[in-house]
Amino acid sequence: MPDLLEPADPRGRDRALNAPSLQPEPALAPFVVVDQADEPPLLLFDHVTKWYGPVIGVNQITLELRPGITGLVGSNGAGKSTLMRLATGQLRPDLGSVQVLGHDAWQFEAKRHVGYSPDVDNFYEDMSGRQFVETMARLCGFSRLEARRRTEETLQLVGMAQQASRRLRGYSKGMRQRIKVAQALVHDPEVLILDEPLSGIDPVGRMEFLALFRLLAERGKCLLVSSHELEELEKLTDHVAVMAEARIAAVGTLAQIRDLLDDHPLSILIGSDHPRQMAGALLAMPDVLGVDLGEQDSIVVRARNPRRFFPELAGLVLEENYDVHRLETLDDSAHAILGYLLGGRRVEKRG
Amino acid sequence: MPGASLLHYRPWRGRFRGVTLSVLPVARISLWMMFRRKLFWALYALGLLMFFMFFFGQYLLAWAETQTAEETVRIGVVRAEPDKLVHLLREVLKLNGTGYTYRNFFWFQGYMVMIVLAMAGSILVGNDFHFGSLPFYLSKPVGRWHYLLGKCLAVAVFINLMTTVPALILFVQYGLLDSWSYFVESGRLFLGILGYGLLLTVCLSLMLVAAATWLRRTVPMIMTWTTLFLFFPILAKTLVDGFHYDRHWRLLDLWNDAYLLGNACLGMAQDTIRPVEQPAVYEAGLLLGALSLLCLIYLNLRIRAVEIVR
Amino acid sequence: MEESGSRLEVGGSRVGVGADGALTANPSSALNLQSSLESSHSSAWLAWCYLVWFCFLRQARARQMVWIALALLTLITTVVGLVTLAGRVGMEEWRWTWVGGNQPLRINPQEKAGPPVREPPIPPHYVRLSYAETAQGMQVLPHAIPMPSSAAALQDAVAGATRIALARSRFYLFSNWVVFSVFVGFLLPIWSLSFATEALGGEREGRSLVWLLTRPLPRASIYLAKFFALLPWSLALNLGGFALICAVGGWQGHLAFRLYWPAVLGGTIAFCALFHLMGACFRRAAVIALVYSFFLETILGSMPGYMKRISIGFYTRCLMFDAAAGYGVQPEKPSIYLPVSAATAWSILFIAAAGLLVVGMIVFARTQYQDLS
Repeated sequence: MPDLLEPADPRGRDRALNAPSLQPEPALAPFVVVDQADEPPLLLFDHVTKWYGPVIGVNQITLELRPGITGLVGSNGAGKSTLMRLATGQLRPDLGSVQVLGHDAWQFEAKRHVGYSPDVDNFYEDMSGRQFVETMARLCGFSRLEARRRTEETLQLVGMAQQASRRLRGYSKGMRQRIKVAQALVHDPEVLILDEPLSGIDPVGRMEFLALFRLLAERGKCLLVSSHELEELEKLTDHVAVMAEARIAAVGTLAQIRDLLDDHPLSILIGSDHPRQMAGALLAMPDVLGVDLGEQDSIVVRARNPRRFFPELAGLVLEENYDVHRLETLDDSAHAILGYLLGGRRVEKRG
Repeated sequence: MPGASLLHYRPWRGRFRGVTLSVLPVARISLWMMFRRKLFWALYALGLLMFFMFFFGQYLLAWAETQTAEETVRIGVVRAEPDKLVHLLREVLKLNGTGYTYRNFFWFQGYMVMIVLAMAGSILVGNDFHFGSLPFYLSKPVGRWHYLLGKCLAVAVFINLMTTVPALILFVQYGLLDSWSYFVESGRLFLGILGYGLLLTVCLSLMLVAAATWLRRTVPMIMTWTTLFLFFPILAKTLVDGFHYDRHWRLLDLWNDAYLLGNACLGMAQDTIRPVEQPAVYEAGLLLGALSLLCLIYLNLRIRAVEIVR
Repeated sequence: MEESGSRLEVGGSRVGVGADGALTANPSSALNLQSSLESSHSSAWLAWCYLVWFCFLRQARARQMVWIALALLTLITTVVGLVTLAGRVGMEEWRWTWVGGNQPLRINPQEKAGPPVREPPIPPHYVRLSYAETAQGMQVLPHAIPMPSSAAALQDAVAGATRIALARSRFYLFSNWVVFSVFVGFLLPIWSLSFATEALGGEREGRSLVWLLTRPLPRASIYLAKFFALLPWSLALNLGGFALICAVGGWQGHLAFRLYWPAVLGGTIAFCALFHLMGACFRRAAVIALVYSFFLETILGSMPGYMKRISIGFYTRCLMFDAAAGYGVQPEKPSIYLPVSAATAWSILFIAAAGLLVVGMIVFARTQYQDLS
C-alpha cells in the first residue's frame, strides 16, 4: 500500500515521530485515569531491564498497574513471561525495580500480595487438586482449618469442587488450569498475575473465568492477564499493554492505541446508494488518505485521526444528504492493532 | 502462508531411504543433547586425565631412554636417574606398548566411564519419557527398535570416545615413538583394543538403555548404575579378598568381568592379572552375555508395553 | 490525552462484559469469598513449619529411590548376616599356603612372591590346617610333647596371643571391609547423595520449584526447610542402616556400631549439607555429587600428604580410627594417611556442615533459576 502521508504534512511527520512502536525512548501518549491517579500503584515496574546473557528480555519498562484488569499481549519472545516472572519474584531485574504494594517483588513480603498462575503445567502429580490447593494455602501460613475453608471456597469459585478429589495426574488441561487459578486466589492477594489463564478452558468455562476476573477487578484487585486469545481479552478488558521486542510498544485502551497509529490509517467500510459521489466528497477531506470502491455499493475509506474524521463524515453525510446504510471499521480490533504494532509479525486469527 | 506460493518450490522427487537409517538421526540428536552440556565436557576432561598421563608418560619414557648416558636428568624441578625412571615407566607403570598398557588404560577408565554413562542414561532416555518427547519419535515412520538402537549407538560413541579411541591413539603414539615394525608385530594388540572396545560397547550400552528405560529419573538411575559398577566391585573385593570366599564371587564385579574378556582379547595370560584369584574367562563371558540377553529381553517387553502418557 | 513523559500509567476500574452479557460464575460466592478471606491472618512461622513437614513427606514420594536404597540395605544386611553366620568374618578359617623347598613361605596367597629362583619351583599347595586349627595345635603341643617348662610357657604364650589375635581379627576385618570399604566407601555417600540431591534437584527436574518460590517465604528459609526435611531420611537410612548391618554382624558388629555411630552421624550431616548445596548450584546435582563421591574422594583419599583433607570421608574415617584405636584398627600406612585427632575431625565436620548450609542458603536466596518452567 503506498504511503499516502504527505511528507510536507507537519502533523503527519510529528505523529510518525511520536508513534509508540519501537522508538528508543518510550514516548507514548498514555492516559491517566484521573479518579485513581492518586492511589499508589499496586504493581510498579520502574525502568526495568533484564538480560539473559547477551539477550535482553525486557528493556526499560516502566508500568504502573492499579486495580483493574490489564491485558498483556505480544508475540512469542516479546518478554511477557519475563515481565510476569519479574512481578512474581522469580527473577530480579538487572536495572530498575519491581515493587508490589511498596515491597520489592524479590522479597517474600511482596509474595503475600501476589497470586500467580503460571503457564507451566507441572504439579505434584500424586496429589489431588484439593490437596494441592490446600498445600499452597498452608504454605502461605494459614492454619489447617483456615486453609481447608479457603480451599473449598476457591475450588467452588473456579468450578472444581466436584472433581478436586481426583489426582492431578488424571486431570485434563482445563482442570489443571482451574487448579492453577484456585491456588493463585486462595490467599486473597491484591495482585493477580495470570499467564495464559484461558488456555485449555472450554468456551463455557471461559465465560465463567471472564466473569470471575471482572468480579475480582470490581473488588479492587489488580489483574495482569497475558493471553494469545485476543478476542477473549477484548471481552475482558480494553486496557492492554502491548509488548514487542522486550519493550512496551503501546499501553492504553484499544481505541487510544488505535488513535496513535497515524501511519496505519483506519479502514472504514461505508455502504451507500451513491458510492461514487460520496467517494469524491470524501477525497476532499484532509484526513482521508484514500478511497476504494468496493462491491455492492460500498466504499472503503482509509482515514487517519478517527476522532476528527467521524464528526466530519457525519457532517458531510447530513450536508449532502447521502444515504448511508452501513458503517463499519475494518481494523479496529486488537488483532489489527497488534498486527500494526508488531510490524511484520503476523497475528493469526482463530476461527 | 501466502508468501510460500511465490517461492516456486518444487516437490521433492528423491527416494526415501530405508527405515534402518533412522537410527542415525536418533543417535545424532542424542549426541547433541549430551555435547551441548558443559557438564559432559567437564566429565570428559576428567576422564581424559588418565589418557594424558599415559600419553605423556610414553613421551617421557621415550625421552628418558635417550638420556641413559646421563647420571641424572631434570624433569621440571625433580631430578631422577634415567635408568630408574625408565624402569618405573616401563616395568612398574607398564608404559611399554604391550597389552599391559592398554589393559591398564581400559581398567583405569572405569570410574569415569561409569559416571559419564550415569549422566547419559538419565538424559538420553529419561528426558524423553519425563518431558514427553518420545511421541515425537514414535509418531514418525520408525520402529521402536530403531529408537532404541539409536540410543545405543549414541551411548556407544561415548564409551568409545573414552576407551577405544584414546587407546588407539596410545597405540599409534607408541608405534611412532618406537618403530614402524611395532604396528606389524602388534597387530594382535590393535585387534584386541577394538575387541575390548566392542565388548564394552555392546554390554554397557544395552545395560544402560535398559536401566534408563526402567528408571527414568536421574537419582534412581544413578543409584542403580553405581550399584552395578561401584557397589558390586566393592562387595566382590570384600568377599574374595576380605573374607577369602571363592574366586567366583568376583563375577559380581562386571567391570572386572569385562576386564578378563578384554585381557583375553589382548592375548594376555590370565595369571598376569592381579589379584591372582580370578574366575575363568568363559565364566565372565557367560555372565556378561546372559546379562546382555536379559537386557534385550527386557527392552523387547518394555517396548511392547510402553504407554505414552503424561 | 496527555503525555506524561517517561511514565506510562494504566489503570481503571472498568469492568467489561462479554458479548453474551452473561455472568455464569457464582457472584455471591465470589463476594462471600472476598469478605471471608479478608478476615484471616497468616503466619510465616506456621508456613515454614508446614514446609518442613511437606518436604519431609515429599521425600517419601520418591518411591523408586527409597526402594533402591532399601534394596541395597537388604542386600548388604543379608550378605553380612550370611558371612557372620558362616563364621567367615575372622581369620580363623584362613589357610596357610605351603610352597616348600626353594620357594619362600607365603602367608597370604595374594602377597607378591620373592625374587625368582633358578630351580624349577615346586607348585604351591594348601596346608590342610586353618589358622584356628594351627593355633589350637600350638596350644595342645606343650601337653602332647614333653618339653622344658620354659619352652612350654613360651609356647602357651604364643598360642594365647595367636588366639587373641584371631579373635580380634574379626573386629579388624569387619571394620576394614564392612565399615570402611562397603559402608563408608559406598553406602554412606550414596544414601546421603540420593536424598540430599533429590530435595532440590527433584523439584528442579520436575519443574515444581515455582510453587515454592512464589510462596511468601524467604528463600533462605525454603532452603533450610528442605535441609531439615531431608536430614531425618538420610540419618534414618545411614544410622539405621548401619545399625542393622552391625546388628547382623555378630559381636564385632555390635562393637563397631558402639564405636562408629557418632562418626556416621557426623559424616551424614556433612555429606547432606554438601550435596544439598550442589542441588542448589547445579541442575544435575546428582551427577556432580557422584563425581565428588566416587572420583574426587577416591583420588584425594589415596593421595599422600594433606590433599585428602579436603574430603569429608577422610574426617569420617579419622573419627572411626580414633574410636577404634584401642582395638588395633588404624590406617594401612599411618605415616602417609596422616589422620587427625577426633576433636579436629569433629570441628572440621561441624564447621563444614554449618558453612555449607550457610553458603547454600545464600546461593539459593540469590540465584535466579531459569529452569522453573
